[in-house]
Amino acid sequence: MIRLENLSKTYREGAEARVVLREISVRIPDGEFVAIRGRSGSGKSTLLNLIAGIDLPSSGEVVIDDICLNRLSARDRTLYRRDHIGFVFQFFNLIPTLTVLENARLPAELAGLPSAEADRRALELLARVGLCDRPREFPDRLSGGEQQRVAIARALVQSPTVLLADEPTGNLDRGTGETVLALLTELTRQMGKTLIVVTHSRRIAESADRRLLLEDGRLIADVETIPATG
Amino acid sequence: MLTRSLLKLGLRDLLRRRWQTGLMVLGVALGVAVVLAIDMANASARRGFSLSTEAIVGRATHQIVDGPSGVPDETYRQLRVDWGIHSSAPVVEGTGIAIDFGQEPVTLLGIDPIADAVFRDGLSSLTATPGFGRFYTEPGAGIIGQALAARNGLRPGDHLRIQVNDHITPILVLGVMHPADPSQFGSLDNLILMDVGGAQELLGMPDRVTRIDLIVDAAQAAAIAARLPPGLRIQPSSQERQTAEQLTSAFQLNLTALSLLALVVGMFLIYNTVLFSVLRRRTVLGILVELGVTPAQVFQLVVSEAAIVSAIGAAAGIGLGWLLGRGAVRLTTQTINDLYFLAAVRQPVLDAATVLKGFGLGLGAGIGAAILPAIEAASVLPVTALKRSSLEGRVRARLPWFSLAGGIVVVGGAGLLWLSGQSLALSFAGILAMLLGLAMLTPAATVLGMRLAGPALGRMAGLLGRMAARTVVNALSRTSVAIAALMIALSVTIGVSLMIDSFRATVVNWLGVTLRADLYVSAPSTSGTRPAASLSPGLPDRLRALPGVGAVETFRAVTVSSRLGPVALSVTDASRERQARLYRFAGGTPAQVWAQVIAGSVIVSEPFAYRHAIPPVGGSVTLQTDLGEHTFSVAGIYYDYTSDQGTVLMSDNIYHRYWQDRAISSMGVFLTPGANADQVSAELGAALEGTGLLVQANAAVRQKALAIFDRTFAITAALRVLAVVVAFIGVVSALMALQLERRRELATLQALGLPPGSMWALSFLETGLMGLMAGVLSLPTGLLLAWALIDIINLRSFGWTIRMAVNPYVFVQALLVGVAAALLAAVYPGLQARRESIAEGLRQE
Repeated sequence: MIRLENLSKTYREGAEARVVLREISVRIPDGEFVAIRGRSGSGKSTLLNLIAGIDLPSSGEVVIDDICLNRLSARDRTLYRRDHIGFVFQFFNLIPTLTVLENARLPAELAGLPSAEADRRALELLARVGLCDRPREFPDRLSGGEQQRVAIARALVQSPTVLLADEPTGNLDRGTGETVLALLTELTRQMGKTLIVVTHSRRIAESADRRLLLEDGRLIADVETIPATG
Repeated sequence: MLTRSLLKLGLRDLLRRRWQTGLMVLGVALGVAVVLAIDMANASARRGFSLSTEAIVGRATHQIVDGPSGVPDETYRQLRVDWGIHSSAPVVEGTGIAIDFGQEPVTLLGIDPIADAVFRDGLSSLTATPGFGRFYTEPGAGIIGQALAARNGLRPGDHLRIQVNDHITPILVLGVMHPADPSQFGSLDNLILMDVGGAQELLGMPDRVTRIDLIVDAAQAAAIAARLPPGLRIQPSSQERQTAEQLTSAFQLNLTALSLLALVVGMFLIYNTVLFSVLRRRTVLGILVELGVTPAQVFQLVVSEAAIVSAIGAAAGIGLGWLLGRGAVRLTTQTINDLYFLAAVRQPVLDAATVLKGFGLGLGAGIGAAILPAIEAASVLPVTALKRSSLEGRVRARLPWFSLAGGIVVVGGAGLLWLSGQSLALSFAGILAMLLGLAMLTPAATVLGMRLAGPALGRMAGLLGRMAARTVVNALSRTSVAIAALMIALSVTIGVSLMIDSFRATVVNWLGVTLRADLYVSAPSTSGTRPAASLSPGLPDRLRALPGVGAVETFRAVTVSSRLGPVALSVTDASRERQARLYRFAGGTPAQVWAQVIAGSVIVSEPFAYRHAIPPVGGSVTLQTDLGEHTFSVAGIYYDYTSDQGTVLMSDNIYHRYWQDRAISSMGVFLTPGANADQVSAELGAALEGTGLLVQANAAVRQKALAIFDRTFAITAALRVLAVVVAFIGVVSALMALQLERRRELATLQALGLPPGSMWALSFLETGLMGLMAGVLSLPTGLLLAWALIDIINLRSFGWTIRMAVNPYVFVQALLVGVAAALLAAVYPGLQARRESIAEGLRQE
């Protein structure tokens, strides 16, 4: 369970303070697929960063499975993220000096998993994202869609409880984006992970279990998608 | 032309990258400052000598000179009375030490103010001074220069004690000269003007003068030459100045070359920084091209930015150079005084030409270094083609060709070195080409090194190790330039250190061979390496009579004329045969050579043989003796490090046969077995009381010689440090930029769970690897440079044989400096990364 309690974030820009998030409170049960929507500058990515613990709220709390992330030290937050949270970025953020396999196994390796086990997990996930034949390639040899698929494999290699994706299709053409999204949702649903996706796309949002709509840092709508029946 | 917006864009970018811009300004400033400081030091020494020469030579067109004992008074009388040459004046010139004023050297000049008035300005007003008659009548009275008076608070009526040869004489200050312009007499820094008779007495030259100045035309000069008695010569007065310039030219060229090296390292820094700026802004540049900015404008933009930074750096460098120059003037003047001649320079000279040259060099280096990155920027295609990977791919594709070109430049440099003959400038050009060629081979060596290091690092440090090695290769366009710059600077450190260490070791060894006496007696000297005093010939017998004294060996150092120019002649008593180790080439056993020397041959020092192409066997030297020209056969070539102009060594029995001079310059005292050195030294001191002569133990003389050696290389060592500082800044700047550029990548790693400690480890590993790579590559390059400096530059500049002494500490030091510089570079980006959140890092372009 992810619990966001009265979450606010303010950035200082010289003498001025810019409020990016205001008093956000949300509960996300395990295994739910949540889409966060909103216009540019509405605070979507900031909210995702706060959930991931890569940024700290100005006030309020981020609690995941009874652990309050913003009360952890920087090191403990990093370790928690490594073991429990997977992240997929808009610009893929693969490490250019690592091969496909090395990128995919990176979080497992950072967590100190035996090399063989890290390889096994990474190769299995690469097979599931359709890239098992190119483990030794470097990222600059891959297309955007392929790079994002490696990023998904990387995000899942530690079998995190929560997967966060910041506009994962924002830098892909429509067709590729849909393929990547289908892959992401399918894998997370199969594995029973919580998936939180920041997106502009109405289509992606409609495929989520729940939609959060942000405007000027405020949560203005929290809508559950009614499953199609019949 | 650049538009206002483009200019603003460039300026704002420079301001935004304050750290890099600041470091680039500092790099240019240091490079310019070093060049300027050395230029100032060289110009000041030249100007100091030139002013004193002009002031002393005045309007004289020719001079009549003789050997070490001087020109007889009688010749002057003959000239004026018998031959009717009225534009002539006798001059007695020598040096002394003002013993009450910090052992300052002084120039003693004995003149006849009336005869002299046509030669030198400012004398007529002097002779009109009330009470000037005492100049002729008062024994030991003199008029001193205003600088000497001002510095020591001397006024008319004061006395100052002067040590000349083996006596101390009080000089009465009759007056102080206030010259109207610097070319006049009184401007001479340490001048004491005396009557001819007074100066003759003080300098121990009864009935003789140093020279007779003349104002004559060429025909008259030829007529005088034909009538002069044997031994005397007439020469143009300009010869003295030319000789001084020839003496120091190699020394000054070496300093200039070393200072330019600091600027070359500075150029690497500018190149690197500008290249980084271009690569970092490739997207912006691509957008500009899309918007219609022409490639020529992009080129101008990049060059203009470099020009602005270089201009600021050059201006700052001029200020810094002025400050450094003051130290450099002191160091070079000291060395010139030690090794060449007395050049009393106290004020550094910074003229407009030097300032313009410094500014031009700084600006030119900046623009020159920016040209290649500017071409790279101008060839940028629109955004779609701007993937960094494609750029690095292009760099790697060109790598074999670039390396081949580097190899060709190395071979070309070696060829130039081989074919440069005795030309020092071409030799330096050859070395520079070799260094540049080796720098061009750095990228290939880096790829190879990282391929070898990668797996090992992977085993040791896991993923971080593999990543570090690959990052260095993946960003080769930036990393290799930084590595090359640091490699060059470290090589210079190694090369120069090994050269100085080897030279010092050689000199220490040589001192062991040459300094054989237990005690040495000499006058305090203005020159560091050759005792120039004229001591009484009766002194050795007085010392031999003292208890504990076994033998006294005499030494005489004089300068005699020859068709080759002035020749430093060393005269020694022949009693002690020289060791085999002294000879570089000997025409027989040491005993046979020494027998030839006693019989009338000479031995010449290595630099002398090198300069005048004297063959090891069958050579000869023709010297102007008091009996006319005489040719001496050369029996051997010996090691000597006292003079880069070379010396000729002769036995005293032969010297006395050809020259009338009987004075000695110093003595070596050998003790009887079992005698106590301290006791004998005290007794010698007592016996020599009142003479001002120094009695020094063998160890003290060696120590003094090494102190002079260290003083000579102090400026070289300072330049070496400055070159490393410039490189250090360059590397810090380059690696810092590289780390800053990777902020998003590092933030991604943190987002994926890399703990802060590992972040530091990764950064340090990457920069440390680069520093280590530069250090490793600098080892063979530094060794090569040391060889070139020792066996080529030193030989062609000075003619000395130096045995290479490889001190492992020098290599370790270079490695440590390289790694330390590189590690330091990781600190600022690391701290900055700590200050900002991971989210901010992920937003970085």
